[in-house]
Amino acid sequence: MGSLFRSETMCLAQLFLQSGTAYECLSALGEKGLVQFRDLNQNVSSFQRKFVGEVKRCEELERILAYLVQEINRADIPLPEGETSPPAPPLKQVLEMQEQLQKLEVELREVTKNKEKLRKNLLELIEYTHMLRVTKTFVKRNVEFEPTYEEFPPLENDSLLDYSCMQRLGAKLGFVSGLINQGKVEAFEKMLWRVCKGYTIVTYAELDEPLEDPETGEVIKWYVFLISFWGEQIGHKVKKICDCYHCHVYPYPNTAEERKEIQEGLNTRIQDLYTVLHKTEDYLRQVLCKAAESVYSHVIQVKKMKAIYHMLNMCSFDVTNKCLIAEVWCPEADLHELRRALEEGSRESGATIPSFMNTIPTKETPPTLIRTNKFTEGFQNIVDAYGVGSYREVNPALFTIITFPFLFAVMFGDFGHGFVMFLFALLLVLNENHPRLNQSQEIMRMFFNGRYILLLMGLFSVYTGLIYNDCFSKSVNLFGSGWSVSAMYSSSHTPAEQKKMGLWNDSIVRHNRVLQLDPSVPGVFQGPYPLGIDPIWNLATNRLTFLNSFKMKMSVILGIIHMTFGVILGIFNHLHFRKKFNIYLVSVPELLFMLCIFGYLIFMIVYKWLVYSAETSRVAPSILIEFINMFLFPASETNGLYSGQERVQRLLLAVTALSVPVLFLGKPLFLLWLHNGRSCFGVSRSGYTLVRKDSEEEVSLLGSQDIEEGNNQIEDGYREMMCEEFNFGEILMTQVIHSIEYCLGCISNTASYLRLWALSLAHAQLSDVLWTMLVRVGLRVDTTYGVLLLLPVIALFAVLTIFILLIMEGLSAFLHAIRLHWVEFQNKFYVGAGTKFVPFSFRLLSSKFSDDVA
Amino acid sequence: MLEGAEFYFNVDHGYLEGLVRGCKASLLTQQDYINLVQCETLEDVKIHLQTTDYGNFLANQTNPLTVSKIDMEMRKKLCREFEYFRNHSLEPLSTFFTYMTCSYMIDNVILLMNGALQKKSVKEILVKCHPLGRFTEMEAVNIAETPSDLFNAVLVETPLAPFFQDCMSENTLDELNIELLRNKLYKSYLEAFYKFCKNHGDVTAEIMCPILEFEADRRAFIITLNSFGTELSKDDRETLYPTCGKLYPEGLRLLAQAEDFDQMRRVADHYGVYKPLFEAVGDGSGGKTLEDVFYEREVQMNVLAFNRQFHYGVFYAYTKLKEQEMRNIVWIAECISQRHRTKINSYIPIL
Repeated sequence: MGSLFRSETMCLAQLFLQSGTAYECLSALGEKGLVQFRDLNQNVSSFQRKFVGEVKRCEELERILAYLVQEINRADIPLPEGETSPPAPPLKQVLEMQEQLQKLEVELREVTKNKEKLRKNLLELIEYTHMLRVTKTFVKRNVEFEPTYEEFPPLENDSLLDYSCMQRLGAKLGFVSGLINQGKVEAFEKMLWRVCKGYTIVTYAELDEPLEDPETGEVIKWYVFLISFWGEQIGHKVKKICDCYHCHVYPYPNTAEERKEIQEGLNTRIQDLYTVLHKTEDYLRQVLCKAAESVYSHVIQVKKMKAIYHMLNMCSFDVTNKCLIAEVWCPEADLHELRRALEEGSRESGATIPSFMNTIPTKETPPTLIRTNKFTEGFQNIVDAYGVGSYREVNPALFTIITFPFLFAVMFGDFGHGFVMFLFALLLVLNENHPRLNQSQEIMRMFFNGRYILLLMGLFSVYTGLIYNDCFSKSVNLFGSGWSVSAMYSSSHTPAEQKKMGLWNDSIVRHNRVLQLDPSVPGVFQGPYPLGIDPIWNLATNRLTFLNSFKMKMSVILGIIHMTFGVILGIFNHLHFRKKFNIYLVSVPELLFMLCIFGYLIFMIVYKWLVYSAETSRVAPSILIEFINMFLFPASETNGLYSGQERVQRLLLAVTALSVPVLFLGKPLFLLWLHNGRSCFGVSRSGYTLVRKDSEEEVSLLGSQDIEEGNNQIEDGYREMMCEEFNFGEILMTQVIHSIEYCLGCISNTASYLRLWALSLAHAQLSDVLWTMLVRVGLRVDTTYGVLLLLPVIALFAVLTIFILLIMEGLSAFLHAIRLHWVEFQNKFYVGAGTKFVPFSFRLLSSKFSDDVA
Repeated sequence: MLEGAEFYFNVDHGYLEGLVRGCKASLLTQQDYINLVQCETLEDVKIHLQTTDYGNFLANQTNPLTVSKIDMEMRKKLCREFEYFRNHSLEPLSTFFTYMTCSYMIDNVILLMNGALQKKSVKEILVKCHPLGRFTEMEAVNIAETPSDLFNAVLVETPLAPFFQDCMSENTLDELNIELLRNKLYKSYLEAFYKFCKNHGDVTAEIMCPILEFEADRRAFIITLNSFGTELSKDDRETLYPTCGKLYPEGLRLLAQAEDFDQMRRVADHYGVYKPLFEAVGDGSGGKTLEDVFYEREVQMNVLAFNRQFHYGVFYAYTKLKEQEMRNIVWIAECISQRHRTKINSYIPIL
């Protein structure tokens, strides 16, 4: 389809929706998710818009539904989630639905209220029985005292003097009893004591079982208390204090018979209440079960309806008030779909005049739409995280699909690790339809969304691992090494020759810790290993030096190719936006600058690889020195790589030096010349103006009213074009900044690509360390205990490999790969100043209850 | 506390300070007020508030919507935030919070006592009490008949207890005495709070002391203004003035002698801070009232409190600003519901 290379062409369309059919049309559009609406009423505040009443109604429905869901959840009834999402309800059904829901709500509220009332009643009765039971023990104690204050007490009984006086004065002994919250007991008692100055006796005992608070429904511990007091005044105060502490006060029976009677009465009432409560609950459950069946579809429907009205609020009415005008961005490829959707909507509502659409010209930058599939989505996300591409600009995501996993793998190169990662990703990919993966937690979700990236990263790591010949830090000898040790022992030479060629003999082998294989000795080096690094390097002590040199050069080469590619992509952008002068004045000098310096560096590297062999390696010049000398023009003649090197280098330097002023001044001066001369090359016209010209005929098809408006718009547009100020200073400044950034960037970015080398080195070393520190220790123990030891050692090795080498190192390589793409690659051509195309689509509404309902 | 709060302030209170600054950012903006004023009905107000940080705090209210429902929900929201702050605070910030609630507690106690005097039921008045100043013993207030009774029986264990030193008298509680009690309590409360902030030192003192000084002076002015034409003697009046303000001592003495608004204005003229405030007061018809002017000044000070870091003043300032915002919304809502749009613009903008 090619749509990944550039974003799709968009056009601004005006939808004329007959007011009777607007709702159905939008419903059809929402199901398809084709267009993005523009807000035409931006300066109208939210409560003054046309369809605010309907939105309010939706909110009311949502409130009811939320209440239903809450009640259903409380009753532990499973909520069935439908497979398909029902379409937005037709307007005729909305009223019905609303009535139905409201009726349900009223009924439910009534039943719940009744239930709560019954429950509360029941709880109170239970509390009362508990209180009676507990206070009986208090009373028993009182009974013992009873005779002492019923009769005249003996005078010597000092402690009871007070009561008897009171008794004689005719004051009545009163009781208040009830239940109090555990936490409040202490404060309650203190307050009682302070207020009544000690003229009360408080007895309390803890209830052994926690009870539910009838008001809040919490289950808490309670205390039963009994206050005995004398006198009316104090009685009032005691009652007030009881109120203040929210005690549940129940009448206290004076005699044992009364108590018994009450208790019996209570028991029967509790029995009755239980049965009634059960019946109510059953009924409630029935109602809720019935509601639960349809609640899911209702929630979805209301959500869709609300979304439609929100969109309708963005439309403006035309003068006759008969139709709504909406402005939408639509991909040109989908225009016929859009027409079909409108027709469908009109047909459904049975309107006489169909809704129709017109494309209208615009100067505004359309939003960016890049269609992705599940494979490309992840890569597009990496690019979008940096910035959504400008409209119709080259989309780096297409190239990222390959370059990203590749650069990652260069840093992560290990056959074994890559394979584990590949397997993990493959597991995710094969099970991608598994519902648990789709709803998993944040971190797992991250992996899941990037599963295809992971898959490619794993595959490429396997490849680079083969090239580096690293498998869990060990080399694999697949094809047999190209080096032969026995050739060094070759006895076909005379001892003098042997000495000269540095061949080995027994004494050398015995006395030297380190032996050197010399590739110039015939038979020692039999040709390169077919794929990647020769496994013999795994044994060499100078392995690191060798690999460093190789990886460093490799990263520079890869980096420069990557960046040059970026600059070339810039040319595609200039071609597309018809700014050819940019190619000659910006891209070409940029390319020359890059290639003359760094391209030449690559040439030198490759040249040296090809030309110098083991025999001539001693006379090979250092590339670093050569490269520095290119800029320094040393007086002393060096033996260069090839003859005439001096002249070539001078020429390259001259080209570089020349391209800099062109880069700095070319574009500003050219624009100035264009501006002053007003020459009619037509090159300065941007792509958008052309689009506008093309569609001018369509404008004439609009209704008279709109033509006028349209014309006005166009005139405005022209005026704007004229007025677009030509500010030479500003252009010069931007270009100079851009050029400085580019020239310095070339050097620093090339250096930045050395991170490829650094990270791959770090990865190799870390896995090497893990091997030596763990497995080798385990392998060294003799066989009897070795088996026992190896098991935990291998387990630890596996865990550390996964956590340190795969996850930690993988993350770091991932980050560096991202950075190389965002900074080093994309700044060569990518502007990323677009806005994303967000279609009005029901699919974007969440289809779960729990998220925002309830 | 030692100087240099910035070194260790964040260890204990950094989280809450960050939180309160975030909350402050959610105060309604000028644009919000402009939109609110345009509303036609309370439903519109509700819809507009939904787009602000209040969110759908009114979603569970059944129709019809009234101003008191809005007010109640807003208070509840503030209270929730405050409780969160308080529950997560460490000393001495928690003491600071206790001091902040004291003023609401005083108001609630006085409200309940007035209610008891008018034989209204406790439940009825409880609804009107400010949720920030709610405490358990509160409902037992109507047991007491004299201030000392009140202290001994009810309030001895509440944070209000220390403020009762000056008002232990055996007078019966009639309406005037209750008002006197309120002012005396406020006086000792403000002085204690002032002392606390002063002792705390650091930025907190630098920010809070001016705010409390202003609060004290405002009370002095308001008391003076309200006492014109009542039976309150001048000596009694002087005992009610909080002594921690800028007016202390000369200004208060002069104020005690004042007999009408002009004399009061003359007292204020001696003070650079209050002179412009009194000048801004419009006379009689139109113009701002003295109260509004004071509110504006308070808002200004509270907003400025956010310019410094590492102090407790932000919590005080936030609560006060939020209260002012609630007053504004209630004012606008009242104007809308009573169709009295001419005065709708006289809310106090929060800068």
